[in-house]
Amino acid sequence: YTFEFHTATALPVYMQQTSQPAATVAAVKTTGNTWQTFKKPGTMQGKTQKPKAPPKPQQLHYCDVCKISCAGPQTYREHLEGQKHKKKEAAAKAGPTPSRHGASLRCELCDVTCTGADAYAAHIRGAKHQKVVKLHQKLGKPIPSTDPVVVGGTTKTSTTTAGATVGAKTTTSGAAATTGTLTAADGKKDDLKDDLLDLKEKDVEPVGQEYIEEIKNEEGKVISFNCKLCECRFNDPNAKEMHMKGRRHRLQYKKKVNPELVVEVKPSLRQRKVQEEKLRRQQLREEMWRRREEERLLEEEERWYWEERRRYEEECEYLDWCRRYPRGPPGPPPMMPPGMPRPPFMPGMPPMMPMRRPDSSDDRHVLAKHAEIYPKEEELGAIQKIVSNTEKALKMVSDYLAEVDAPKEQQVKPKAKKEKEDDSKGEDDKKDGEKKEDGPPRMLKGVMRVGILAKGLLLRGDTNVQLVVLCGDKPTRTLLDRVADNLPKQLAVVAMEDKYDIQRVVEEAALVVQNIGEQRISVNVTLTSPIMREQLLHDGDSQVIAAKDPPDVLDKQKCLDALAALRHAKWFQARANGLQSCVMVIRILRDLCQRVPTWGPLNSWAMELMCEKVIASAGQHLSPGDALRRVFEALASGLLLPGSPGLLDPCEKDPIDAASPLSAQEREDITASAQHALRLIAFRQIHKVLGMDPIPPPKFQRGGRFTRKRRRDNSTGEGNDSEGELDGGDGKKDKKEDGEDSKMDMDKETK
Amino acid sequence: MVMTRGRGRGMRGGMMRPMGPGPHFGPKMKQFVPRLPFDMVLCESAFPRVKPAPDESAFTQALLKRNADLSPTPAEQAAVLNLVTKIQAVMDNLIVDPGNFDACVSSQIEEVRQVGSYKKGTMMTGHNVADIVVILKTLPTKEAVEALGKKVCDDLRSQEPQEVLVLTMLPNDRGFEISNSEATVRVLVTTIHQNLRKLDPELHLDQKILQSHLAAIRHSRWFEENAHHSTIKVLIRLLRDLRGRFEGFEPLSPWMLDLLAHYAILNNPSRQALPINSAFRRCLQLLAAGLFLPGSAGISDPCEGGNIRVHTAMTLEQQDLVCLTAQTLLRVLSHGGYKQILGLEGNSSIASEMSVWDGVVVSALEKAYEKPPERPPQDDDTDNMDADDDPMETTDN
Repeated sequence: YTFEFHTATALPVYMQQTSQPAATVAAVKTTGNTWQTFKKPGTMQGKTQKPKAPPKPQQLHYCDVCKISCAGPQTYREHLEGQKHKKKEAAAKAGPTPSRHGASLRCELCDVTCTGADAYAAHIRGAKHQKVVKLHQKLGKPIPSTDPVVVGGTTKTSTTTAGATVGAKTTTSGAAATTGTLTAADGKKDDLKDDLLDLKEKDVEPVGQEYIEEIKNEEGKVISFNCKLCECRFNDPNAKEMHMKGRRHRLQYKKKVNPELVVEVKPSLRQRKVQEEKLRRQQLREEMWRRREEERLLEEEERWYWEERRRYEEECEYLDWCRRYPRGPPGPPPMMPPGMPRPPFMPGMPPMMPMRRPDSSDDRHVLAKHAEIYPKEEELGAIQKIVSNTEKALKMVSDYLAEVDAPKEQQVKPKAKKEKEDDSKGEDDKKDGEKKEDGPPRMLKGVMRVGILAKGLLLRGDTNVQLVVLCGDKPTRTLLDRVADNLPKQLAVVAMEDKYDIQRVVEEAALVVQNIGEQRISVNVTLTSPIMREQLLHDGDSQVIAAKDPPDVLDKQKCLDALAALRHAKWFQARANGLQSCVMVIRILRDLCQRVPTWGPLNSWAMELMCEKVIASAGQHLSPGDALRRVFEALASGLLLPGSPGLLDPCEKDPIDAASPLSAQEREDITASAQHALRLIAFRQIHKVLGMDPIPPPKFQRGGRFTRKRRRDNSTGEGNDSEGELDGGDGKKDKKEDGEDSKMDMDKETK
Repeated sequence: MVMTRGRGRGMRGGMMRPMGPGPHFGPKMKQFVPRLPFDMVLCESAFPRVKPAPDESAFTQALLKRNADLSPTPAEQAAVLNLVTKIQAVMDNLIVDPGNFDACVSSQIEEVRQVGSYKKGTMMTGHNVADIVVILKTLPTKEAVEALGKKVCDDLRSQEPQEVLVLTMLPNDRGFEISNSEATVRVLVTTIHQNLRKLDPELHLDQKILQSHLAAIRHSRWFEENAHHSTIKVLIRLLRDLRGRFEGFEPLSPWMLDLLAHYAILNNPSRQALPINSAFRRCLQLLAAGLFLPGSAGISDPCEGGNIRVHTAMTLEQQDLVCLTAQTLLRVLSHGGYKQILGLEGNSSIASEMSVWDGVVVSALEKAYEKPPERPPQDDDTDNMDADDDPMETTDN
C-alpha cells in the first residue's frame, strides 16, 4: 500500500507521528511531544512505526485535522480535497479561533466547542464523540479527559495538561480493547467548577415546550421530537431539553411567540455586520422617506395649482356660455371669489377665451353628448330668422289692429285696464301688460317667447317653437282670424324673399307660421290674456266675469297653458340659467325623454323643475357629469315615488305637483329606469345611459369627436409637454404655458 | 389604530405613485372628490311638500313590532350575560395572576374586551352569541389560541363542574367559542399593535384577522360614545334582520350597518334623531341613491385614519348588488309593501322578482356592473373605481 501525499500538512496519520501539525488550539500543539513521550514505552508492538501497529492499518485513513477516519484511500483523498477539510485546515493554520462566546466548554478530542455544560455532556455521550474515542483507541492515540476545557473569557488553558496525563494513562491500556475508559480527571474538576457554575447560572428555564411535537411510532412510543419553531428534529429527550434552553430556540421563540423574552446578545462578527447593514438601510429608508415627503409636498402644490386652474377654466367656460346664449339673461356674475388669486401663468389671457378641461370620464361623456345634441349653427340661424320675422310681423299686426280698432278700443279699455291694475298684484305678467299700455291701447299687447325657445333648450332637429301673444282682452276666434288674415301681409313686408305658410288652429288657440323651404320650421303663436288667469285667481268674481265672456272666446285651458308657459320661461331664466351645469343636464334629459319611451311621460316642466331643485340643493358647484348623476340619484331615491314631497310648482298659486300628470306606474317605471341608470353611471357605463359610444380616455385623443372643442382641449396644457407644439396656431399663450410647464417639470426633477 | 387598513392602503398608494403622475402626467391631475349622493333629508328645504306627508303610523307600528320580535328575551339576555361574566372573570384572573397560566401556555393576556352586538346592545333573539376580544401580549400562535381556549374552559369547568361546556375552535384559528346550553361566547384573539409587524403567516394568525379584532374594539368604543341612542339600536336590529332575509344585502358588514343606521338617524339638519319610520326609509333611499357606490363619498370609517370609505370593503359587484336590492325594496316600500319588507308577510322574492302593488307593477332590477374587459393600464381615471381589491373588512360579529 502506498499513499500519495496530497498536501504538506495533511499527512496520513502514520507519517506524522513526530510532527503533529498545527492542528488545533495552541494548547494541544504544545502537548504533542508529551504524548509522544508517554506513548513510547507503552507501544505494544514495539515497532518503530505506529501505523503498522494497528491490526488493519491499511484500512485506517485518519485525518488528524478533522479527526475523522476514512474508509479507504479514495474517500480519504476526497476528504482532503473537500471543502470541509480545507476550511478546518485553514482555521488550524490561522491559529486558535477566538471564542465567540463568553465562556464555552471544549472537547479536546473532537475539537468541538460547546456552549454549555449540558451541550458538552450531550456531546460526550453522543455517537460522534464515542466514535472518535474508539478511533483514537484503535490508533493508540492518547485520549484526553472528558472533562471539558473551558475556553474563552476565563482564559483557562491549563487543563490541557491534565487531559494529557489522563490520556496517557488510558492509552497505555492499549488501543484494541479499552472500552469505558473515559474516566474523569478528578483532580482538575474543582478548577472547572466555577466555570461550569458560571455557565449553569446562565442556563434558563426551557421555553416553548408546546411547540415541540412528539413523533411517535406505530406502537405509540416516542421516537423523536420536532420543534415547530426552529424546524428541527432530534431523537434524544436530552437533546430536546437542551434545545429548549438553546439560544437558537430562544431566539425563534422570541421572534415567533413572545417578543419580550430576554435572549442574551451574542454580538458575533456576522451579527455586527448585519446590524450595521440594518442601520445603513434604515438611514437609506429615512432618506427615501424624506425625499418622498418632499415630492408629496411638491405634488400637492401642483395639485393645488391645477385645481385653481380648473376652477378658473370653469369660470371662463361659464362666461363663454353666457356669450353664446345671448338670448338668456346674463344671470349672476361668475362665482369667482373676490380674493381668489389669478393663476399667474396666463396673465394676459382674455377672459372670454373658450377653454374647458373636462376632468372626469362622466364629464367628458356628458359634454360629448351635449355637443352631439346641441343644434347646429344653421339650425339656430334658421329658427332665429323665422322667429324674429314672425315677431316683427306680429308687432306690425298689432299696430294695424290698434289703428283700426282705435275708436272702439277706447270705449272698452279704461274699464278693463282699471280692473286689471286693481286685481293683478303680484302677478308675473303684469309688468309686460303695463309697459305696453303707455301707448295707445292695443288688442295685441306683446309677443313673448316661451318653451324651449325662451329657455335655450333647443336640440338638434327641433323644428317647433312657441310664441305667445298677450291680448288686452280675452282672445276670441274673431281676433285670431283677424290676426291670421293680416299676418301674411305683414310677413311679406318684413321678409320679402321668404315665403311663409300660416294656418289657424282654433282648438289650440293658436296659429302656426311655417316657412316654405327644405327645412320646415313652425312657430306656434298662441293667443292668451292675463285676464283669463285673473278670473281664475279670484273665484268670487269668476261667475260675474264669465258671464260677460264673448261667445267665441278661445279655449280657456289653452290660454291658461300659454300663460303658464310664460311664467315657466321667466322662472327658468331666473333660476336654471344661472346654475352651473343645470341647462346642460336639462338638455341631456330632454334628449333622454325623447329617446327612451319610459321617460316620455315625464313632462318637460316637471323635468326642468326637478333638475333645478336637485342641482341647486347640492350646495356646491357640480360638473356636468356630477350634476347628471345627482339627478339620477334623486330619482333613484324615490323623488317621484308616492310618499315623496313631490315637485311643488313655484309658478302656481296653489300647491301643485308639477309631475302630477304622471301615473303611479309611470312614476315607478321612471324611477326604476333612473335607478338602473345611476348604477350604470357609477360603473362607468354612462355611455349606455346617454345612448352613445364610449369615449376612450383622452390621453391620446386630439380633435376627433371634440372638433368643436378642439381649441379648448389644446389650450389646457393637457399633455402639453410633448404635444403642445403641434398646435402652434393658438399663439403665444399656449407656448408660454408650455414653457411654464416644462420649467416646472424641470424644477421638480432637479429637486 | 393607524396601522390597520389605512396602512395597507397607504402602502398601495406608495407603490402606485412612482409609476403614476410623473412629469408628463402633471397636468392630468385627477382630483377625485367623492360626493355625497342626493339625500332628501339633507335638502328638505328645496322640496317643500306638495301635500301633507301620508300617515305612517301603521308602518311605524310594524317596525316597532318587528323590533320587539327581534330583540332577545330577558332569559336569553341573562344567559348570555351569565356566561360572559364567568368567562370575563376567568380571563381577568389570568391577567392578574399569569403564573399558573404560564406554566402550560406561554402566552400572556394584555386586555380583555367585550365587543360586537352584545356590547352594543343590538343583539337579536335566537342568536345568543357574545363576542370578547382577547389581546395577547405575546404573539398569537395557533397553539397559543388553542391552549388559551383549553385553559379557560378548564378553569370554567373547575369552577362549576356540573355545567356542560363545549369548546369549539373557530375557523382560521381566529379564536374559540365556549357554549353552554343557552348561550355562546366567542373569544376572538388578537395581539398588541407592536406585535403586528412581527407576524409570520406560517405560525401566527392572519394579520387581517388580528386587525379586524382590534378594529372590533374600536368599533364598540365608538359605538358607545356616538351611537347609544335607542332608535339607532332598533334600526340596526331591523337592518340586520333585513340583511339576513334579503340575499342582496349580504355583503353589508355589521359595521357598515351600524354606521349606516347612525348616519340615517343623526345626520340631518336639525341633529335630532329621526323617527324610526323615516330613518328606515332613509336607509333604503341612501343605498338606492348610491351612497355605497363607486364615486360616492359614502360613510368614512370613524375608526380608521385617512378617510376610508366603509363601502370600499365590498367588491364592485357587491356594491352593485346592495344598491339594486335597496332600489327595488325602496319602490316596494313606497307602494305600501312594508309588511313584506319587514318579513311580516310574504317572502324575500320581492327583491328579485316582479310584484304588483295596487295595480302598479314593480319590477326587479338588473345588475349594472360588468367585469372590465382586459385593457391596457393606460386608462387613467381609475380614481373612483378603487374598491375591488380590498375585500378586507372587520367582521366583528
